[in-house]
Amino acid sequence: MIKNIITLTVGLFSLSCFADTPQAVDFNKTTGAGTWSISRDGVHFSLTQILPEQAKAFYVNRGFTLQQIEPYISSCVYMAVLRNDNAAGTIHFISKNWPVQFNGKPHSLLPVNEWVKKLTTKTTKQSSLVAFRWAQFPPEQEYEPGGDWNQGMLSIGLPASSQFTITARWDIKGKAYEATLQGVQCAK
Amino acid sequence: MLNKLSIPLGILITITIFLVVGKGIAAELPPLTHKLTTLKKVINAPSLRLKNLDDEIIDIKDLKGKVVVVNFWATWCPPCRREMGSLERLHLATKDKNVVVLAVNIGEDVDTVFSFLGQVEPSPTFPMLFDPEAKSMSPWNVRGLPTTYIIDPNGTMIYRAIGGREFDHSDIQQAIIKLIKK
Repeated sequence: MIKNIITLTVGLFSLSCFADTPQAVDFNKTTGAGTWSISRDGVHFSLTQILPEQAKAFYVNRGFTLQQIEPYISSCVYMAVLRNDNAAGTIHFISKNWPVQFNGKPHSLLPVNEWVKKLTTKTTKQSSLVAFRWAQFPPEQEYEPGGDWNQGMLSIGLPASSQFTITARWDIKGKAYEATLQGVQCAK
Repeated sequence: MLNKLSIPLGILITITIFLVVGKGIAAELPPLTHKLTTLKKVINAPSLRLKNLDDEIIDIKDLKGKVVVVNFWATWCPPCRREMGSLERLHLATKDKNVVVLAVNIGEDVDTVFSFLGQVEPSPTFPMLFDPEAKSMSPWNVRGLPTTYIIDPNGTMIYRAIGGREFDHSDIQQAIIKLIKK
């Protein structure tokens, strides 16, 4: 019997590891930052709030002045993670195409290159812009199954405390897939 | 009766494990895996000629005949920080086997990198190269940090890993050793 239990448990547990999981929401006990996550078709997608003070500290340490980086840190910034655990093949995505719904209306994400243009002034350091560009979630990427992933900052471009829905979209050889996070809140 | 109980008991154990583990997954850092992607197309490694910590030029073309592990990273990138210790352990395990590990820092200065290296356990002793303007990213098709390529002794890119990995895992070490013997 013990053998049966172990076999069944291991079998079901391995299946459940990368199975679809419903949306989960967790709040960090120390920082209060929320994480919204979901797994669909072998792909994990999550957004973790980056509090404005955290974003400010990060970019000021990279050489931005407060005035330079203020438009970004007040734009509802998340740490986005997308990971190909065991999808049916190579996944490909373009993050600016991920639909966002705010107050029942579509809302567009500002592409990374537009943010770089917006932050480029005569006094912005080149090293600050390089750090900014590469700290962002990739605008376009491909992940192989088995654990290719990225973690990067994603600005939603909404005021503090806004609530929205975002759909991560990817394709495998042209076939579309998606995972939606609902009721995601911008940090206060 | 025991056999009849085994299935519901098994399901109960499974559900319990899943609930306990699953609850913690959402807010935890993603696990680092040890899978490498075999590149489908035969591509020669692009050029890479950068300064190291001692201000000396390192040119990847001088490393032909060796297996070269090229890791693109930055100190502010959390998965880069997590995998750096495993790259050093890989370096220590393979440095006498014709393998070179190189880390290409993106956009930072020597002082920033040097102070970070002291915090890594074990502290990296393999070459650190500097690409202050991120000029190598496009030719190397790096779209996010960290990204790592493994190049065979002929200069052909064989494996790629996007996102953090456990580079000291035996699977990765064996894959590298096989390239030396190829």
